Amino acid sequence: MKRSYVIKRILYALFIFFIVLTLNFFIPRIGVRDPAERYYPPQGAMSEIEYDIIKQFTRAQYGFDVSTFQQYIRYLRGLTRFDLGTSLRPGSPKVTELIGQRLPWTLVLSVSTLLISLVTGLLFGTLAAWKRGRWQDTTLLNASTISVALPAFFIALMLSFYLGFELELFPAYTNPNMVADFDWSWKAIQVVLNNAALPIMSMALGGIVGYSQTTRNSVIAVTNEDFVITARAKGLSHRTVLYKHVLRNAMLPLATSIGMSISGLIGGAIIIERVFNWQGMGTLFLEANSTNDYPLMMGIMLFLSAFAILANLVTELFYVILDPRVTVGDKR
Amino acid sequence: MIDTMLEVRNLKVAFPAPGGVIRAVEGFDLDTAKGECVALVGESGCGKSVTALSIMKLLRTPPSVSRVDKLQLDGRDLTHVTERDMEHIRGKDMAMIFQDAMTALNPVMTVGKQIDEIYRRHTHLGKKEARRRTVRALDLVGVPEPASRANSFPHELSGGMRQRVLIALAFACMPKLIIADEPTTSLDVTIQAQVLDVLQSMQRDHDVSALLITHDLSVVSNMADTVYVMYSGKIVERGAVRELFTKPAHPYTHGLLASVPRLSDEKQAFVQIPDTVPHPMRKPSGCYFHPRCFRSSDRCSQRMPRLETLSSGRQVRCWHPLRQEREI
Amino acid sequence: MSRQNVILQIARRGGSLFSLGKKLWQHPKGRVGLILVGLLVLVAVLAPVLAPYDPYDVTQRAEKGLRPSLQHPLGTSITTGQDILSMLIYGSRVSLMIGVSTGIAIAFLGALMGVMAGYVGGVVDNLIMRVVDVLLVIPTLPLIIVLTNLLGRSYFVIVLVFVAFGWTGLARVIRSLVLVLKNSNYVKAAELAGASRWYIMTKHILPGTSHLIIMNTTLTCAGIMVAEAGLSFLGLGDPTAISWGKMLAEAQGGGALLFGAWWWILAPGVGIFLAVFSFMRIGIVMEEVFNPRMKASSSIYKLFKHLNNDYLDEVFQSMEDEANAEPAEQPNGSNPPMAEGAHD
Repeated sequence: MKRSYVIKRILYALFIFFIVLTLNFFIPRIGVRDPAERYYPPQGAMSEIEYDIIKQFTRAQYGFDVSTFQQYIRYLRGLTRFDLGTSLRPGSPKVTELIGQRLPWTLVLSVSTLLISLVTGLLFGTLAAWKRGRWQDTTLLNASTISVALPAFFIALMLSFYLGFELELFPAYTNPNMVADFDWSWKAIQVVLNNAALPIMSMALGGIVGYSQTTRNSVIAVTNEDFVITARAKGLSHRTVLYKHVLRNAMLPLATSIGMSISGLIGGAIIIERVFNWQGMGTLFLEANSTNDYPLMMGIMLFLSAFAILANLVTELFYVILDPRVTVGDKR
Repeated sequence: MIDTMLEVRNLKVAFPAPGGVIRAVEGFDLDTAKGECVALVGESGCGKSVTALSIMKLLRTPPSVSRVDKLQLDGRDLTHVTERDMEHIRGKDMAMIFQDAMTALNPVMTVGKQIDEIYRRHTHLGKKEARRRTVRALDLVGVPEPASRANSFPHELSGGMRQRVLIALAFACMPKLIIADEPTTSLDVTIQAQVLDVLQSMQRDHDVSALLITHDLSVVSNMADTVYVMYSGKIVERGAVRELFTKPAHPYTHGLLASVPRLSDEKQAFVQIPDTVPHPMRKPSGCYFHPRCFRSSDRCSQRMPRLETLSSGRQVRCWHPLRQEREI
Repeated sequence: MSRQNVILQIARRGGSLFSLGKKLWQHPKGRVGLILVGLLVLVAVLAPVLAPYDPYDVTQRAEKGLRPSLQHPLGTSITTGQDILSMLIYGSRVSLMIGVSTGIAIAFLGALMGVMAGYVGGVVDNLIMRVVDVLLVIPTLPLIIVLTNLLGRSYFVIVLVFVAFGWTGLARVIRSLVLVLKNSNYVKAAELAGASRWYIMTKHILPGTSHLIIMNTTLTCAGIMVAEAGLSFLGLGDPTAISWGKMLAEAQGGGALLFGAWWWILAPGVGIFLAVFSFMRIGIVMEEVFNPRMKASSSIYKLFKHLNNDYLDEVFQSMEDEANAEPAEQPNGSNPPMAEGAHD
C-alpha cells in the first residue's frame, strides 16, 4: 500500500516537473516573435539590413534557426544530459558550471540559517508551550507578531548599520575576495564565518520566531489530545510522555514547515545576498538579469523549480515515514 | 470486615472560567471493596469522567482545582502523594480504560509498543520479555493473532479491537483497581456485548476491583454489584444493583430507569425527564434536581438534602424519596 | 456532526462588514489595528496635503544629505536632496495600493477557484489542484525578476504575478471549507429543491465562506506589502514611483550606512512595519472574533494567575452538605475576584 503511494508521488512530481520545464522553455519567448531580438536587441544606429544579418547570425549561434518545436526537442535532449544551457557571459561558461560555483555559497547561508532556526525554534517553542500563559509564552507571541511585519532585509540593513558600520563587529559588505581566496584553511573558514554572520543573523531572527511559534502551537495542541492522558494514566514518566508521545506527534506539522523552508532554501536568499553583496545564487541571478543573460536566468529558474519539486517530494515521502496514517490517495 | 480497596472522601473539583466557576464534583464519597464492581451512573455532564480522572490524579491544576479529604487505595493514602510517586502507582496499581479508543491511542506508535512501555516502566523486564507479556495480554482480551496484531497501528484496527487493546493496556500489570470510563459507548451494539464480556471476565477472573462509569443502564445491570447515581456533581443515590433497579428511591433514578424503553412495556409513550441537566455554572438553588422532579416541594427549592442512609449500603439524597415497598 | 455545526455557526454569523467593524473596534487590540490602518489610509490619500514638500517636483529639492532639522524632520537624501519625510508619506501610497488591490484580486480569484474546486469537484477540482501544485513550485521572486526584464519594470507586472500565484493559498483554504459546507443540511436541501449549481454556489456556499475570505485577504494584504517592499528594494518596481522599499535601496546605495544617516533607513522600515503590522493585527483579531474558542483557552491561564485561595475556599465550602443547613443563597454565579470587586 505504501509503495504504490510512493511511486504515485514520484510520478506526479515528474509530471509537474515536465510542465514546469515546458513553461520555462516558453517564458523567454514572451513578447517577441523572434527570440533573436531578445538576445541581440536593436542597437541605435543600425540599418534594417545590418540588423537582419546580425539576427541571422544570432539565430544560428543560439539555435533559433530551426522551428520552435525542434528547439524544444533540443532543449529536452539537453536536459537529459543535465545541460541547462550556455551563459552569454564572456567565455560562454555552461550554466551548470556557474551554478556549481555559486550554489555552495548560498547553501552556507541557507543551511546554517535553517539549522539554527530549527534547533532554537524547537527549544523556545517547547519552552513556551510548557510555560503556557506565562511570560515566556507571551513574549513569544509578541515577538511573532512583530517579526512577521519586519522584512528580513530591513533587519539586515539595520544589523549591517549597527553591527557592521557602527560597532564594526562584522563586515557590513561581504569581502569580495572571500570566494577567490578560499582554500579550506582555518583562516579562510574564519573569514567566511565572519562574513556570513550578519546575513545569517538577519534570516535566522525571523526563522527562530517562526519555528518557535509553530512548535509551541503544535505542542499545545498535542498535549490536549486524549492519548496524552492515556500515556499519563499508564504511569509513564514525564520524560517519556514528553518525548515519545507529545513531541513525536507535535513534529508532524513541523515537518511540513521544514519542507517548505527547504524549497525556499536557495531562492529565498536573493534579497539578503544583495544587501550584503554575498556571492551566491541570488546575486548570480541578479547579475544575469542586469546583463540580460537569458540562458543563465532561465537555467537558474529551472534549477530552482526542480529543487523545489524535489524538496517537496522528499518532505512528502519523509512524512510517510513519520506518520503511519498516510496512505494511498491525496492527502490534503 | 469488608476488605476496602478504594476509599474516597469528600472529593470536590471546580473549573474556574471567565464568568464563574464550573462546579464539576461537589463532595463525592465512594467505597469499593476488593473484587467489587461499582458503577457510577449519570447523564453526560454530571461529573462522572472528572471524578474518574481525579481519582487517578490526572487532572491538571490549571484548568481545574480539586480538594479531597481522603483518597486511599488498598490502604495506601494517596491524598498527599507526590506526582512522582503517583507515576509509579498509575498503570500498575490503578489503571484506566478510556472511552474513545481511536483518540486514546497514540496514532504513530504500534499498539504493541504502547503496551510494552507499561511493562518496561513498571517492571524490570527487557524488550523481548515485555513483548511476550504484551502478546499474552492481547491474547487474553481476545485479539486474534496477537503477535502480528501487536505491530499494527491504531488506525489499522477495528473499533472493537481497539477497545480490547485499551482493556489489555489497563489490565497489563493486573492492577488492583480498574476505572472504566464509558468503555462501550463508542461501539456498535454487537461489539459492545463482546467487549463487555471481556471486561467482565477479566475483572472477575482476576479479582480486580472496578469502577465502571457509564450512562448505559443495561451495562450496569449486567456487570455491577453496587451503583452510585450521580447528578450535577452530587451523588443522589447509592445501593446494591438489584435493589436499586427494582426499588429506586430517588426520583431521578426512577426517571432514568423508566425512560429506558423495554420490549415488554405496555405504556404507549416514551417517558422522559423534562428539561435538561443544569449548566454546571448556574445550578438551581436547593436540590439540583428539583426543577425536573415530579415530587418537588417548596423545601426542595430551598435546601439541598443531605445524603441519608436508608439501610445498610443504601443511601439517598432527597426530601421525598420514593417509598421502598413498591416495586417499579 | 458537531464540528460541522460549529463551522456552520461561524459561517452563518450575521456578518456584514459594518458589524464586523464594530466587533473589531470593541476588541482592544482590534481597535489599535483599525486606528493604524485608518491612519495609513489617511496618510496615503492626503499625501499631497501632509507632505511638506513634493518629492516628485525637481524644483523642490534641497541640499543633499542634510541631517534632520526643523525644515526637514528626517533630513534629505544623500543622492538627490529630496525631503525624506515627504518621501515617506508618499511611499505609503504605493504600499497601500499594491497591497489592497492585490489582496482584493486574490480574494476574487482564490474564492472562485476554491468554491468551484470544492463544490463542483471531480475533474474541475483535479484540474485546479494540479494548477496549484505547478504554481507552488515555481519560485515567485525569480519569476518576477524575469518577467520585469521581459515586460518592463512596473508594478503592474508585479501585481499580475502576485495575483497569478497568490490565489493558491486562499483557494486551498476555501476549498476545505466548501467541502464541509457541501454536506451541510441547508445545501442538501437546496440541491433537493432543484437549485442550480451556480445558484447554490453564489447564494449558499459563498456567503458561508465570507468570513474566511475577509480574514485571509487581510493577512494576504499584509504579506503582499512585505513582498512588495522587497521587490522595490531590488528595483523591480516602477522606477519613477516612490516606495518604501526603493527608499531603503537608495539609502543603502547612497551611503546612508557609511555616513550614519540611520534615520533614512529607519523611517521607511518603520513605515513598512506599521503598515504590515496593522493589517496583521486586524486579521488576527478577526480570527479571534470568528473563533472564540481560541481566546477562551489562553485566558484561562490568566484567570488562574489572579485566583486567590479565599475565593476557592468559599466555593468548596459551599459544596459541603452542612453549608446548606440554612436556606442561604449559594455563591453560585459570582465571578472570580478579578472580574468583579465584590461578591455576595
